[in-house]
Amino acid sequence: MNAEHRWLEAYPELGSGPISTEPYISPDWYAKEKEKIFRKVWLCVGRANELPKAGDYKVKRLEAADTSVIVMRGKDGQIRAFHNACAHRGNTVVTEHGQETYGRSKAAVVTCRFHGWVYGADGALKSVPSEDRFYACFDKQKNGLAPIHLESWEGFLFVNVAEQPENSLAEFLGDYAEHFRGFPFDELDYGFTYRTELECNWKVAHDAFAEAYHVDTIHAGSFPNVFSTGLQNVKLMGPHRTCAVCLTLDAKPTPVAGVANRIAGASLVSLRGESMLPPLINPDRRSDFAFELSVIFPNTLLHISEGIWFTHQFWPIAHNRTLWEGRYYVKAPQTNAQRWAIEHAMTLQRNAWLEDTATMEDTQRAMQSRAKSIQHLQDDEILIRHGAIVVEQFVNA
Amino acid sequence: MTNQPNLPPAFADLAPFLDWALPTADERQQRRLAATSEGLRAFYDAVLPRLEDILSALDEYPLGALPEELRPLYGIALSLAEVAPHIELYGGAVGVPYAFEEGRFIAVHGGQPTWQGLQPMGFQ
Repeated sequence: MNAEHRWLEAYPELGSGPISTEPYISPDWYAKEKEKIFRKVWLCVGRANELPKAGDYKVKRLEAADTSVIVMRGKDGQIRAFHNACAHRGNTVVTEHGQETYGRSKAAVVTCRFHGWVYGADGALKSVPSEDRFYACFDKQKNGLAPIHLESWEGFLFVNVAEQPENSLAEFLGDYAEHFRGFPFDELDYGFTYRTELECNWKVAHDAFAEAYHVDTIHAGSFPNVFSTGLQNVKLMGPHRTCAVCLTLDAKPTPVAGVANRIAGASLVSLRGESMLPPLINPDRRSDFAFELSVIFPNTLLHISEGIWFTHQFWPIAHNRTLWEGRYYVKAPQTNAQRWAIEHAMTLQRNAWLEDTATMEDTQRAMQSRAKSIQHLQDDEILIRHGAIVVEQFVNA
Repeated sequence: MTNQPNLPPAFADLAPFLDWALPTADERQQRRLAATSEGLRAFYDAVLPRLEDILSALDEYPLGALPEELRPLYGIALSLAEVAPHIELYGGAVGVPYAFEEGRFIAVHGGQPTWQGLQPMGFQ
């Protein structure tokens, strides 16, 4: 066995050849991705605990599925999803403030600002001002909000805009669901969100985060001296994928990091315990385990570590434009000092993400120049290879 | 007229750094980007030796209930969290070296007064 090619040997069906850059730069390919991927599969749009009370709602734009979705908790406690489109003349019912809009309605209704049509959290059209001036062909019963399929897993809310999804969320997630089951996502619910729009294809952004080969160069500033021992425990599960990232952590933290780590342990560069990892994560309990890096196809990266988890999401806006959202979660602070320590961890993480995103727009421009039509991947970039192959399978299905 | 921020007597030596006593993450980031290398270094060197004492003083009050007179001190401690990587890791650079444009990153929590301890994601 060639230790340098262990993932090729574990997954020979993926092959080892170069990967075409065309899917990253072609508007036609992107149109197919919208139709064959984003309008067909389950997409993670948030967490149930973002909507703690009846009448809480969240509106999320899904440009790649040509819609925006209202996710709302009803008085019965159920969370449902609807297209944000009024049955009257198509105005958005909830006025959006950017990519994500949170709101609360004690009465558990949403009201269109245009002409005041009122919808319940079950989607039913409850009230139409001057209803008697509409004609006999208008039936209030048939003009509720258009529903979108919604299912949840471990507190994550997924929607599927297909009229009839090809599978249930559980079938879609398959073994992935088991791999992460039991991590205390809900207990670590203090979440920071950063977002930006990147002038690059969504897969350029995905790829930049889906390997640890870049740590020694890109993060030489924020995470120095973390000599990488590479990936461990690569597992491909249908269209999804995961691995462990192992880093040799610097024994002596910097002065302020030392104080922060002692108070909250909220940073990726503080020492990692293993009290909350599910049994399938870092199964050998390696001491240099840093975090699990996984991808829920198509556009969600989920990472877990002791006391921390974080996600990246890549929402396509065009073939060369992507909304990136990074969310970082820790246990809610109990004291002012803990809140301070979390601020330090978050600042360090923000800076690392600023380093991560630095290459993406350059990569896109270079790909669009067509100077190179292929890219070469090494063995520890197997998550990228798998991603490219899965996208191709969906697009050509 | 607005009240000038002030510090408790035990921390009066940090008065020259009251312009770092900023309540929100966005303001602290802007202040750091507008600083010089020398300014970052002077702030770091002055506050680091007082950090543990500052945090102890702040922890005499529950999170979210910090009295107004201690909020500038908290702002200074939070500015140290913002500045520290630039001294400890980036050789005094005021920006993150080899990075994406900071101004294009939106922090959802960026406008919240940090001392309130609110959920940073934007929902309540």
